[in-house]
Amino acid sequence: MSRERLEKTIIQILRVMGLLVFIAIVAFPFYWMMVSSFRSLGEILLKPANLGLDIRKINLHAYYEVLFQHGFLRYICNSVYVSVVTVVLSVTLATVGGYAVTRLRFRGREFMSYSILLIYMFPAIVLVIPLYVMFSRMGFRDSINLLILVYLAQTLPVALYMLRSYFQTLPPEIEHAGLIDGCSRFSVIWRIIIPLSAPGLASVALYTFMIAWNEFLFAFMFLDTPEKFTLSRGVVQLAGSVHLSKQLVMAASVMVTLPILVFFLLFERYLVRGLTAGAMKG
Amino acid sequence: MASLTLKAITKRFGQILALHGVDLHVDHGEFCVLVGPSGCGKSTLLNIIAGLIQQDEGSVLIDGQSVDRLAPRERDVAMVFQNYALYPHMTVAQNLGFGLRMRDVPKQIIREQVLETARILGIEDLLDRKPRGLSGGQRQRVAMGRALVRRPRLFLLDEPLSNLDARLRASVRLELRHLHREIQSTIVYVTHDQVEAMTLGDKVVVMRRGKVHQIGWPETIYAHPADTFVATFIGSPEMNLYRGRLLHKDDRTHFQGAGFSLDIGGLQLNLGESELEVGIRPEDIAIGHGGTPALKAKIEMISDIGSEKYIHARLGQESMTIRAPREAAFQPGQVVPLTVDPDRVHIFHEGRRISWPAGSCSSSK
Repeated sequence: MSRERLEKTIIQILRVMGLLVFIAIVAFPFYWMMVSSFRSLGEILLKPANLGLDIRKINLHAYYEVLFQHGFLRYICNSVYVSVVTVVLSVTLATVGGYAVTRLRFRGREFMSYSILLIYMFPAIVLVIPLYVMFSRMGFRDSINLLILVYLAQTLPVALYMLRSYFQTLPPEIEHAGLIDGCSRFSVIWRIIIPLSAPGLASVALYTFMIAWNEFLFAFMFLDTPEKFTLSRGVVQLAGSVHLSKQLVMAASVMVTLPILVFFLLFERYLVRGLTAGAMKG
Repeated sequence: MASLTLKAITKRFGQILALHGVDLHVDHGEFCVLVGPSGCGKSTLLNIIAGLIQQDEGSVLIDGQSVDRLAPRERDVAMVFQNYALYPHMTVAQNLGFGLRMRDVPKQIIREQVLETARILGIEDLLDRKPRGLSGGQRQRVAMGRALVRRPRLFLLDEPLSNLDARLRASVRLELRHLHREIQSTIVYVTHDQVEAMTLGDKVVVMRRGKVHQIGWPETIYAHPADTFVATFIGSPEMNLYRGRLLHKDDRTHFQGAGFSLDIGGLQLNLGESELEVGIRPEDIAIGHGGTPALKAKIEMISDIGSEKYIHARLGQESMTIRAPREAAFQPGQVVPLTVDPDRVHIFHEGRRISWPAGSCSSSK
């Protein structure tokens, strides 16, 4: 007995230590970024490696400067617009499309179902140059809506795939019951599929939002006018500017990271599975 | 309440012929049971009636009107699924009221009807709960209630009892019978359980491999099975079935099986001496003298199920099951004489029943 307890204790300690190490690795850069963004330039220059955070000396000037003098308010608006529209479109299209390939029988269904992921196999870097050339010639470059289109093309395959897998876990009898109870196909989707797919939809929304919010390559290539920049594009612009002040870049980075975090915490509870519990015999 | 007619329903899934020209008529208020082994197409047929699956050929008529072009919601039928298929995100009350809500029934009326249905089924105290908090039996009731609340023209039940434990199943079966008598509705009920079929059905449809083998009252199907499949599928323990030939001798007919000969009286058939099959139900065999010449069987094993005994014996080279009262005192190894009433013997030629004794196929109810 005592030996077993000893082993259990050791495993417990190892587990906690492992977690702590992991958290440190993940959280440290973030912490440093936060701390640095709260300092003034002078402080950073004096003690660049200072990790302590003095609550009384928190200085939000960097945020003010980034937001109002470097145009980040505009970038935030742009990023929110691009991300939200991409999420809404992606979730809507993926719901309808994912439902179609799971439940409806039509010619070419199998092929469509498998080719969805095929599209995703093309790396973005391969596509960006041809797309750049194509859109330039068509005169569509430097448009924020174009960016939405590109993000949609990028996220939709995975979104479709995720939702398709999710829909496959839903018992078709629930839909049949709905159809007999008086639903049309669309009201089955609206009243039964969507409420039951909340975890799947939340994952798709989160995934799409992260891609659209963080994406840099296409934003960098396609956007020329600073007023149209998204956040990630803006940060790079800022970091590359002549007067490099670290606290500004850090503040900007915090603004890029924070929404993802908030989003994740908001949606996390919807990610739990098992919403269909109780539908079946059990 | 409505009548249902199926005309030559055929359905293929790829290469597989799931239903093969099924014809059926169910009268107003009739309780019709589709029974057959799994994969016989009975559930497919139910889904076609509901409109969830489209048939390849044939036609479904409700009250004489074709419903082939109507969506499931327009057919005014209700269905209870084997796995209940409750809406997990709704309370019991919402589950029950959903069909009415989708049909734009005023809220007040929905409330009343949901309450009334819940009262009939004894689930009033569950109305605010979600399905995940219910037991199997309670879920089954909610599923029944969801069908009942709308008072549809036709009830379709797809093995609704198969997920309940044996005791609960027996009591719900009785309740179903009562319920049917009370609401007088037309029901099509699918099951693979012959006991359910025999006890519930006004009319029983025996199916196998997409074909209807026999349609009839339970007692007709039991007493006059149309072919060897129905004969062995309905009835427990199974009917004893033997292959052999008929021999005519001194105005009497004998069935010559593998290692035994059975006197079946004055049967005259124009089949010559072709091979046929003879079936005897376990309860139609009496242990004791009477037949001439007496059949003799050797008892091999006895299964005592409490209320009666099943005696497994060897007759010639064939095995035989005999139903005996529980007082019967036999020992394995014993050789006993058997008596079989010739009128209770079923004769099949090429699998189909031969009407015998003459005129016995008319049944009354």
